[in-house]
Amino acid sequence: MIHPSTPRRIFGPLHRIAFVLRRLRNWLLVGGIAMALAGCASNAAQDTWKPKGPNASKIDNLQKPVFAIAGVVLVIVFATVFYCIVKFRDRGQPIPQQSHGNPALEITLTIIPALILTVVGIFTIRTVFDLAKTSDTEMIINVTGQQWWWEYDYPAQEKFGITQPIITSGQLVIPVGTKVLLRQTSRDVIHSFWIPALNGKRDAVPGRVQTNRIEADNPGIYAGQCTEFCGLSHANMRMEAVALSKEDFAKWVANQQSDYVAPADGTIAKEGEAVFLNQCVRCHQVNGLKRADGTPAIAAPDENVWSGAAPNLTHLMTRNTFAGAMFDLAKPECRKDVWEADSTTFGAKYLVGVTEDCLNQSALRAWLRNAPAVKPMYTNPAQLTATGGKSRGMPYLGLSESDIEKLVAYLLTRN
Amino acid sequence: MFTTGSKYFLGIGVLAGVAFAVSLFFVHPAALAATILIGLVCAFGLFAGVVLYLRDGDVAENEPTTAGQPAPSTSMWPLLTAVGTALVLLGTITQSGIFVFGIVVLVAALVEWTVLSWSERASSDDAFNAAARKRLLNPIEFPVLGAVGLGVLIFSFSRVMLAVDKQLGAVLFIMIGALLVIGGVLFAVRATLRKSIVIAICGIAASGLLAAGIASARNGMRSELVAAAYESDHEVQRECGAEPSAQDDKGVSRTISAKSGVDATVELIGGKLIAHVQGIEDQKLVITVPRSNYSNIIFRNHDVGNFRLIASLGKKTVTDGVFEDVVACTQMTRQGAEQLLTIFIPKSSLANGPYMLSVAGIEGQSIELVVP
Repeated sequence: MIHPSTPRRIFGPLHRIAFVLRRLRNWLLVGGIAMALAGCASNAAQDTWKPKGPNASKIDNLQKPVFAIAGVVLVIVFATVFYCIVKFRDRGQPIPQQSHGNPALEITLTIIPALILTVVGIFTIRTVFDLAKTSDTEMIINVTGQQWWWEYDYPAQEKFGITQPIITSGQLVIPVGTKVLLRQTSRDVIHSFWIPALNGKRDAVPGRVQTNRIEADNPGIYAGQCTEFCGLSHANMRMEAVALSKEDFAKWVANQQSDYVAPADGTIAKEGEAVFLNQCVRCHQVNGLKRADGTPAIAAPDENVWSGAAPNLTHLMTRNTFAGAMFDLAKPECRKDVWEADSTTFGAKYLVGVTEDCLNQSALRAWLRNAPAVKPMYTNPAQLTATGGKSRGMPYLGLSESDIEKLVAYLLTRN
Repeated sequence: MFTTGSKYFLGIGVLAGVAFAVSLFFVHPAALAATILIGLVCAFGLFAGVVLYLRDGDVAENEPTTAGQPAPSTSMWPLLTAVGTALVLLGTITQSGIFVFGIVVLVAALVEWTVLSWSERASSDDAFNAAARKRLLNPIEFPVLGAVGLGVLIFSFSRVMLAVDKQLGAVLFIMIGALLVIGGVLFAVRATLRKSIVIAICGIAASGLLAAGIASARNGMRSELVAAAYESDHEVQRECGAEPSAQDDKGVSRTISAKSGVDATVELIGGKLIAHVQGIEDQKLVITVPRSNYSNIIFRNHDVGNFRLIASLGKKTVTDGVFEDVVACTQMTRQGAEQLLTIFIPKSSLANGPYMLSVAGIEGQSIELVVP
C-alpha cells in the first residue's frame, strides 16, 4: 500500500527542480547557445577537427564518418522516442493490448547495430594500427612529463645535425614533413600528451616508455594540453609543438648546440648570472655556465624537486613560453606576430626568439617574484613532509626586486 | 566463597600483577607500562572486592533456577575474555602484535559472551534461545572463521614456498594442486562418502600444511631471499664481476625480457657491444637516457659463454670526501638469452659522467650513457 505522503515525497523535489529550471530557463538558453557557438570558433588552437599532419588526418578521416553515423543513429533514436512520447502519451485512453516479444524485429534491431559497429570497428582497428606504426620513424624525441611541465630531449641524431643531446621544455620543435617518434614517459604521476592538430592523445606513465608519432605538414605552432588529471596545476600543464622547415630546424639545432656565451663583465646581466648561480642553479641547468672558481655549475634538481628535474634554461629565450607553457614569454603583439605568420615567414620570425622589446616582463617578473602565487603548486615547506621536503613546482624564493631585475637581464641573454 | 564476577576480576588482576612483575624486573622498572599495570592491579582488585561484597548483585544466587530463568550454560567466553585481556596487557610491554591479537580476542569473546548471555534469557525455551543465538552470530562467525582458517592455510603455504628451493617449490605447487583436484573429484564422485571421513581428510591435510608452515617459518626463507630482503639497495649491490656470483646468479638460466618501456637494447656480438634505440635504425655506441627516471635496457648475449652487462653510474658520496662507485648489472646471461637492466641516474652526465655500459670480461668495449 502506498503511503499517503508518497506522492508528495517523490514529486515534491521534482516540482522544485522544475520550478528552478523554469526560473533559470533564459540563462540556460543563453549558456547553451554560447556553448554551441563556441564550437564554431575559427581560431580554436586545440580544435580536434582541424588536422595539420598525416597522423591527425588519419584520426580525422575516421572520426568524421563515425560522427556522421552516430549522428544519424542519434536522430533516428530521438525522433522515435519523441514520436512515441507524443503519440502514445496518456490521454485517459484504455491500456492497449500488451504484446511480449517480436523475434523478427528484435533480431533485425540487433543485427543492424552489430553491422554498423563491425564496420566502424574494422576502420578503427586499421587506424589504430596505422598510428602505432614506428618502423618508418625518421626522428626520435624523448618526452618526459612531470608536475606540471614537459621536458623534451633530443638524442644525438646525425641526420639532423644533432651531435650532442639537446634538452628543452615548453615548446617541442620539430622539422616539417618528418615522421617524429615521441618516446613518452613520466617522472611522477601519469600525464597525457595531446596536440590535437598532430595526433591523438597518449599517456605518459612512470616506468614505461610509450610511443606517439607526430608529423606536421606546414610550419607553425600547434597547441596542446595535458589530458590526464595530474594534480593541482593540471589545467596549466600545456605544450606547444613548433614545426619549422628543415632549413630552419637545422638553424634551431645549431643554435641549441652553440657554446655558452657569458654576459659581458660590468653589465647587469653579469650580476644576474651571479644571482642565477646563487639561487636558480640549485634546480635549473644552463649548459656551459661556470662558477667563479671555473668549475661547471651543475644543477641538482634531484635534491630539491620531487620529480628530480627542472626545466633546462640554456636557451630560454628561443622559446615563446615558460612555466610549463602556461605563460607567454613574448608580449601579446609579438606572440600574435609569430602565431599568425604565414608558413613562409614563420620560421624566420620564430628563430628570432624573444628579444628585449618583445619580452613579457610583467609575467616573467611575477613568476620570479612568487611563482606559487601565479601557478598553483605544492611548494609550502610546512606541507612537504610526504615528499621529504622536496617541492613540486617552483617555490617562493624571496628574491628582491633588484635580484629580479638582474635575473631578467641575465635570462634575456639565454638565446 | 568467590563469586563468578570476583573470580573474573581477580584473575585479570593477578595476570596484570604478573605482567607488572615481568615489566618491573625484565623490561624497565620506570616504564609507563609498569605504572599502567600496577594501576590495573589496583583497579581490578577493587572491582573484585566490590563484586565479592555485593555477591555479583545476584540476590537469588542460591535459589534454585525457576522455569522462567534457565540456568546459564557452561561457556568458554569468560576464559577467552580473560586470555584476551592478559594478551593485551602482555602486548603493552612486549610486542605490538600481541597487543593487537589480544584486542581481537577480547572483542570477539566479549561479543560472543554478550550475545550468549542475551540469548539465554531470551525465552524459557532453550531450543529457541540457541536458534536465536545462531541466527545472530552464525552469519558473522562462519565467514570470519572461514577467512581466518583460509588465511592461516595460505600463510602456511607461503612460508613453505618461501623456504624451499625454487625448483622444489614448483614441484610442490604442482603436487598440492594435483592433490586438491584429486580430492575434489573424489568428493564429487563419491557423494555418499561419510561426513566424518571428509572432515578427517580435510583436517589431516590442513594440519599437515599448518605443521609444514610452522616448520618452514622456523627454518626461515631461502638464502637469496634473505639477502634480497635485508640488503638495502640490493640491485646496485650485486656482485658485478666476470665470475658468476653464488648469490645473484642462482637460477641464471632464466631469461627476463620486456615487451615495452625499453630505452635501448644492447647486444654482445662477436666480442663487440652495440646498442639499438627504438626509432633509430643505426647501431649506436652512445645512447641517451632521461635524468631522474627509470630506464630499461635489455642485454642480449649472442656470444658463447655467460656474460653480464654492467652499468657504471658514477660515484656517490658515502661520507664527506669518501666516494663509492655506483654500479648496476644484469645476471649472467647465457648465449641466446637476454636480461633486463633497470637504471636510475639522478645527475646529468655533466655532473657525474661519463656513465658507461660494459660487459665484464670483454675489454675495450663500452657504450656511453648520456644523461642530458
